[in-house]
This record gives sequence, structure tokens and C-alpha cells, in this order.
Amino acid sequence: MQAALKIVEETETMPNTEVGRIDIENASVTFTGPGGERIEALAPTDLVIEPGSFISLIGPSGCGKSTLLNAVGGFVALSDGSIRLDGEPVTGINPDVGVVFQQYALFPWFTALGNVMFALKRFPMSKKERRERAIEALREVGLQGRENTYPGQLSGGMRQRVALARTFVTSPKVLLMDEPFGALDAQTRVVMHEILLRVWEAHKATVIFVTHDVDEALILSDKAHIMSAGPGRIIETLDIDDERPRRAHQVSESFLNNRNHVIGLLRQPGAEDH
Amino acid sequence: MEAQLKKYAQLVISLSGVVAVWWMVSGFGLVNPTLFPAPPQVLAAAVELYRDGVLISDLKISLTRAAIGFAIGSTLGVLIGLLTARVFVFSLALEPFLTLLRPIPAIALVPIAIVWFGIGEGSKYFVISYTVFLAVWLNTHAGAAGVAETYIRASRSLGANRFREFFEVVVPAAAPHIVVGLRLGAALAFLSLVAAELSGASSGIGFRLQDARQFIQTDRMFVGLIELGILGALLDSVFVIISRRLVHWESA
Repeated sequence: MQAALKIVEETETMPNTEVGRIDIENASVTFTGPGGERIEALAPTDLVIEPGSFISLIGPSGCGKSTLLNAVGGFVALSDGSIRLDGEPVTGINPDVGVVFQQYALFPWFTALGNVMFALKRFPMSKKERRERAIEALREVGLQGRENTYPGQLSGGMRQRVALARTFVTSPKVLLMDEPFGALDAQTRVVMHEILLRVWEAHKATVIFVTHDVDEALILSDKAHIMSAGPGRIIETLDIDDERPRRAHQVSESFLNNRNHVIGLLRQPGAEDH
Repeated sequence: MEAQLKKYAQLVISLSGVVAVWWMVSGFGLVNPTLFPAPPQVLAAAVELYRDGVLISDLKISLTRAAIGFAIGSTLGVLIGLLTARVFVFSLALEPFLTLLRPIPAIALVPIAIVWFGIGEGSKYFVISYTVFLAVWLNTHAGAAGVAETYIRASRSLGANRFREFFEVVVPAAAPHIVVGLRLGAALAFLSLVAAELSGASSGIGFRLQDARQFIQTDRMFVGLIELGILGALLDSVFVIISRRLVHWESA
């Protein structure tokens, strides 16, 4: 995708595959609960996320996966430790870090095209160029002809495709996804996985993908970090070496082994939340 | 289309039913016609008022007062509502005060408005814009304060500055509430208009009502009441149509 790559060339001197390294050192998040008790949402965590890699955070609710994601996004402040993006400490919301939210994050008062163009407004370019790039980004997620449709008239899957286009159009270094397909049905999800991988391979951002669906994590990511609650922490990291595309209906033996292993981990006492 | 037709049919049936009952009650001598005039009497009074020129001039003057009061009150209401909801200093300074003002009805302000602004147009504008302001402020404030955090996060992570965040995210996100406030404000403009005109006015629909009372011209009073009803209903339907276009994404 030429248009989006051009932005990266304008804003970055380094090649795109070299950017998007995340160093998480001793990072922890604690907050005070309603009764005044101290809640450790994320125990001190060390993690290095390689540039251009696709990692999943998987675990039950309360395991700190969203907290860790939000800390990388600058939405949640760390209580201790540090998170650095390409060496720069994360101190707040950063437009180099794109976010695809669970749902309801498209602006319903803008059309699909308007939503994508919103992301391009911070760049100095003519309205015509902004429009062309936004149309191209929508085409890339298979939404040509839907430019002037409002989010309210789109299906859940199409809305998340617009959200994907809106985020990828500026070629962010990092893409954070917080259970983006959790509200979609199984068939739509399969389509979304294919679109996401295609767009990711074209843009090569570092992706942090939060999910509680084991299959989803195994199909999409290079590495899956399995997390557990009380306090939220990473209990194991799994390298997934299977060739892409991986399909849930044509699983390899290693896929099955990984899946059994992860489900076993999540079922262990102490790793359960209900 | 069919639903629209149904609505009109319902309106015609309901109104003709009411007029029929009204006509029967007054026509059969069940009530004193001086206190409760029959439809032909009211119609004759309306024609007489029209011929005298006061029907139209009252309508014009009352609508102008309501429109100017509404314009002042709603502009201030939207502006201050956005500020008290999104700017901490304004919320700190104004919110408690405005919350205290809310229970004071427009009619209670009429005496002080007359002392401050005289019996001219100023006191009417003041009373109407006060009422409209409070309704619009309250709704705008609620809407702008309740903008979903996800929209704000999305806007910031997409690199929008605070200026763009305000005009492209906060204002449209609050728009459905603002529109509700404006619709309520328009209805209240009429209520406070009558409150303002009932005392200390020499023209307008409210004045005509008060004037007719002095001569026990109940037929003229009925004309005034029917005028207010029709105006209010028309205005409200206009608002519904405008707001549907303005915040079209709400119904989707």
C-alpha cells in the first residue's frame, strides 16, 4: 500500500520493519478498590515485543491483559517500572500507537470515509489526497463502495473493518487490539482474521492482540502470552511456529498440542476466575 | 407513507370528536354559554379578532418574543453547557449556582424582571431566555459530560488535538442531548411567554387572554388558548423533523 508507506517515509528515517519495539520492564499497575483495598491489576512484568511481531495476550477476565494493553497505549499509568516504545518511554496517548477497540469506537456521526479521514487530519496534505488515501484504505479491507455509509448502517464485522482501516491508514508502529472480534459471530470472525493478517502483512506493525479465545490467539499470533489473575501476570509464553495461513478447521498436530496445553494452563487452579 | 396517513386520520378523528362533544355540551344548553361558549361563538370571535387586525399582530408579536428569547437562551445554554461539562473552571464556578436556579419557575421571575427591565420587551426576553437557557444548559451539560470515554480515547489515539476533539467528537456526541434540550426549550419558551405576557404587557396572545378576562369574553379566551395549542404542536413537529435530520445517526 503505497500511500500509507509514504507517510512512514515522511515521518520515520528507519525502515518500517525496524520500528515498533516495545520494552516492558518491571511494569506494574495497582489501584485502590472501592473498599480502600489495594488491587494489583498487573504484577511486575518484564516483556520484550519484537518489531513487527504479532503477539497475543490470553487469559480469563481480571488477568491484567487489558491493563497491560492499556498501559502500552498510555491510557493507564504505571505504578512502577517502565514501558518504552523504540527506546522512548510511554508517557501518554501516542498517535504512533493505533488502537482498535472492542466496539462502539467508530464515530457514528461520520461516514465510513469520514472516520478514516479523521485519522489523516493530523498530516499536512490536501483534502483530495486525504480522501484518496482513505478510499484506498477502505478498499484494502474490502469496503469499496461503502465510503458514504454511516456506521449505524453497517454490520458489526464491517464496522470493525472500518476501524481497522482507520487505524492502519496512518501506518502506526504499534497496533493494540482489545478483543476486537469478541462481539462477532464465528463465520465473520474467520473473515476478520484473514483481513487482519493481510493488512498486517502489508503494513508490518507490531500487534498486541488481547483475547480470551485460545483458537483466535493460536491462529493469529507469533507468540501467545498466557496470563492469570490474582494478581494479573504472565504465567507462560508460547512460541507458535506454524506456517500461516492457519485454519481452525484444518488444524495441524502442533496446533492441537498448543491448544491442549493452553487450555490445560487456563484450567489450572489459581488460573481460573470462576 | 401509510403510517403517516394513519397519523393524520387519527388527528382528524380525535379533533372532530372533541369538537362534537364540545358542541353538544354547549349547544344543548347544559352549561352557561357566557362561561362556556359553543364552537360557532369561538369561530365568530376569531373572525372578529382577525378583522380588527389584532389576531395577526398578537401572533406576530408573541412569536417574535418567543423567537428572540429562545435564540438568546438556547445560544447561552449550549455554550455554557459545553463549558461546564468539559472545562473544569467553569464547572467549579457555575454548576452549583445553576443547579440552585433550576427549581425557580419563570413566573416567579416576572415581578423582578418588570422592576429591572420595565414592562417593555426587555422583561419578556429576560423571562423567556432564562427558562430556555436552563433547559438547554441542563441537557447540553448532561450530554457533553457523558461522552463515552472510548470516543475520547479513539480521538486522542488518532492524533486529534483538543480543539478537534471538542468540535469533531464532543459536540457531535452531545448533539442528541442538545437537540432534546432545544426541543424542550422551545416548548418552555411558549409557557414562559404567556407567563410574561399575562402581567405587564399591552399586546400578544397572553395579554389578549388577560384582556378578555376583564370583559368575561370567554370566546376570545378560547381563541387564545386554541392559538397556543396549535402553535405549540406545530413548533414541536417542526423540531422533531429538524432533529431527525440533525442527529440522523441516532435513529439508525
